[in-house]
Amino acid sequence: MSPSASMSKDSCHHCGLPATGVAACEGEVAGEPQRFCCSGCLEVCRVIHAAGLDSFYDRLHAQENTLAPPPDAPSDLDQYDLDEVQREFVSPLSGGRRGAHLLVEGIHCAACVWLIEKALRDLAGVTRAEVNLARQRLVLEWQPQQVALSAILRRLAALGYAAVPFDPETAEGQVQCSNRRLLFRMGFAGFGAMNMMWISIALYAGTFSGIETEYKQFFHWVGFAIATPVLFYSGGPFLLSGWRGLRLRHLTMDLPIAIGALTTYAYSLWRTLHGGGEVYFDVVTTFIFVILVGRYLEAMARRSAASAALHLMELQPRTALRLDESGQETRVAVRKLAAGDRVLVRPGDKIPADGRVVEGDSHVNEAMLTGESQPVHKSCDARVSAGTVNGEGVLKIRVEQVGGDTTLARIIHLVEVAQGSKARVQRLADRIVPWFVAVTLLLAAATFLFWMRVDFDTALMAATAVLIITCPCALGMSTPMSIVVSTGVAARLGVLIRNGEALESLSRITHVVFDKTGTLTEGRMRVSRIECVDATLDEAQLLALAAALERHFTHPLARAITLAAEVRGLVLPAAEQLQAHGGLGVSGQVGGELVWLGNARLMAQAGVDIPDGMAALREAVESAMGVAVLLASGGRVLGVICLEDQLRSGARELLDRLRAQGLGVTLLTGDTRRAARHLQQQLGEMRVLAELLPEDKAREIAALQQLGERVLMLGDGVNDAPALARADISIAMESGSDVSMECSDVVLMGSELRKLPYAIEIGRQALRTIRQNLLLSLAYNLTLIPVAMAGLVTPVLAAIAMPLSSLLVIGNAILIRRRMGRFVEMQNGR
Amino acid sequence: MDVIFGLIPGMILLGLAGVLVFFWAVRNGQYEDMEGPAHRILNDDDMDELGGDPKRKPD
Repeated sequence: MSPSASMSKDSCHHCGLPATGVAACEGEVAGEPQRFCCSGCLEVCRVIHAAGLDSFYDRLHAQENTLAPPPDAPSDLDQYDLDEVQREFVSPLSGGRRGAHLLVEGIHCAACVWLIEKALRDLAGVTRAEVNLARQRLVLEWQPQQVALSAILRRLAALGYAAVPFDPETAEGQVQCSNRRLLFRMGFAGFGAMNMMWISIALYAGTFSGIETEYKQFFHWVGFAIATPVLFYSGGPFLLSGWRGLRLRHLTMDLPIAIGALTTYAYSLWRTLHGGGEVYFDVVTTFIFVILVGRYLEAMARRSAASAALHLMELQPRTALRLDESGQETRVAVRKLAAGDRVLVRPGDKIPADGRVVEGDSHVNEAMLTGESQPVHKSCDARVSAGTVNGEGVLKIRVEQVGGDTTLARIIHLVEVAQGSKARVQRLADRIVPWFVAVTLLLAAATFLFWMRVDFDTALMAATAVLIITCPCALGMSTPMSIVVSTGVAARLGVLIRNGEALESLSRITHVVFDKTGTLTEGRMRVSRIECVDATLDEAQLLALAAALERHFTHPLARAITLAAEVRGLVLPAAEQLQAHGGLGVSGQVGGELVWLGNARLMAQAGVDIPDGMAALREAVESAMGVAVLLASGGRVLGVICLEDQLRSGARELLDRLRAQGLGVTLLTGDTRRAARHLQQQLGEMRVLAELLPEDKAREIAALQQLGERVLMLGDGVNDAPALARADISIAMESGSDVSMECSDVVLMGSELRKLPYAIEIGRQALRTIRQNLLLSLAYNLTLIPVAMAGLVTPVLAAIAMPLSSLLVIGNAILIRRRMGRFVEMQNGR
Repeated sequence: MDVIFGLIPGMILLGLAGVLVFFWAVRNGQYEDMEGPAHRILNDDDMDELGGDPKRKPD
């Protein structure tokens, strides 16, 4: 079946996104021409077809999923074959096999899981390949004699998945361990609660139709036998944390839970020992079970793939080519580098350490550190930073800082500090709970003292009734239930909320801070305009000529031009003697003529005068944060190609809406002032701060917070990570770096800006529901506490009233779903 | 009716056996990925999932 049969003609054959942009291209797969949104998708589709795995598309469409264009494939895969590097993450297995965990980028759905597992198992030497869909992990085992790890990674890259090995123990061993313990406790409480139900049914039936004391007592003792381990094993954390809170004089939610469970248990035990009345062992177990289920759901929602710092570490290359005195190169682990060493950096490689260029000429992409979208030209004596990516030239670098002293390490440190110092909004429930607990305890004590004048038995019953009926269940569940429901609704809308507490903060924000590149703009250059000097050459010819020169270069501008030519299906003339002029442009022989392509300085070098019209256009484009590339031959300029980083769709509407809601808007960017000002003109009134370093961004946010603003930060780069960690609420785009997603509380799937208002509205709805729920449970308590204090609460009444209050709270939370549905309809004007 | 004195502890013991199985399952990583296996079972041409020869191509 043709995968695109069910889709429109304009959508990408591979990923299903619109294939109408400038990057779109056409290619032949299985003898049929197909459209693709980018050349990456085309490549991936060809590999999938060649491997005979076409049914991947059937599976994909059966689930109505779409893919995203594949991530850029990592370039330096060979390093993973070195034993020294493998030691960091590989575990040896029996029979000489090796095992590793890989973090895979680009997994979207079950079809991807199938594709990866199938394709890898078909490789000779791979003995195990299992994908964990929820966590985007791949567990891999292979025979190193038969297949190299780099070959496996390359296979993954060809399929459109970027994979990096990591060491699971250090990264998430602890989180996993505590989650497991929670699961054990929950499972045990579940077992207790279920078995307790039998006994309760027997006892209830006995109450109505009569039961012999002998059996009743037996059932009481069985209840005791089940409730005791549940209370002390499953409920252990509540008891401990309640006790700890009491010692620190801080009344937490765990305290009423602990007191409620303990008193109910103690009362029932007392009743059992004296052989009469009703027992509530079932209440104890069910209560603990329900609360543990809530905690477990919360923990699952919060579980993060890996720590931000881990992802940042992955940016660092693991090996470097060290040069010795005689100029011999040896591959060594980055850890072995020392200040003063000289290293060789090949085109496309990551720079292993901070240092200075001693030889060579190249462009370096520093976007991850500075946010500057254009690669920076580096020649002798220029400073370079670890983790940045070398462009087209070969560089020799003298290492100055290694390991913890590099700029990258500094950012990692900044993120950790910011995460640690982030002022958490105190949860609404947390503020009410201590008062609630104190009042409940006082009332129970008062009830006890009052009824002591009658007799001890009545006093104990009444006081316990007060404690049981004020059961913190409803109060305790009001917040988690709202959070669970809202996160679910949000996920369906494409807003991934990674942290439940974020919801409360979302509703309170007063100021929105944007990053520019990749957030408000798409973050990559595209050919926006082609202008010819005279009629000898039309636009297509001009573009073909430029693409012929640029075809073999990897500079982003070169790629953008080549891509534009590919999209138009142009036939490129042959170019010879290609030469890159660092920081200026390229030149080459086409059809016997020397052709120059580059900026004004290159034109000056080539001795070409720029006509006035071209110069004006160049100025205009460059002030609009774009780049104008001039093409010259035979001593005169032939034309100009303009490249721009375009605004994301919906950026303007989003800003208008935010301003209309009275929120402050600020733009923070590492780009030039001029580019920032241009953006301001397009987007309307807003505060703009340009040429900022990562730490400046974080400082700027801290300054806003000092003014009493609650700041939402929207960003996507590694350079935004410290700012994201600092902001009250941080939102990352799905297309952004993994690090930014790890640092943020919310991720916008599909990178659509219009989802930001959804996120804010969900936060508001959640907070409103939490408030209503707190009111509901307080109202319930206000009605029933007096009744309980009067000693009028019978066991049956308590049994009915308690679940009723919880149900009210849960039902109200579920209403969020409907309210959000209405909001989305309104937004879309339907 | 005296039979319940034996049956109920027996029931609890059986339940405990279930708990032990659950603990084993958690330790064994059965709850690590709650989504993938549900889809994986539908990939019926993966004979190797059923314990067949991992390198055998589907027919």
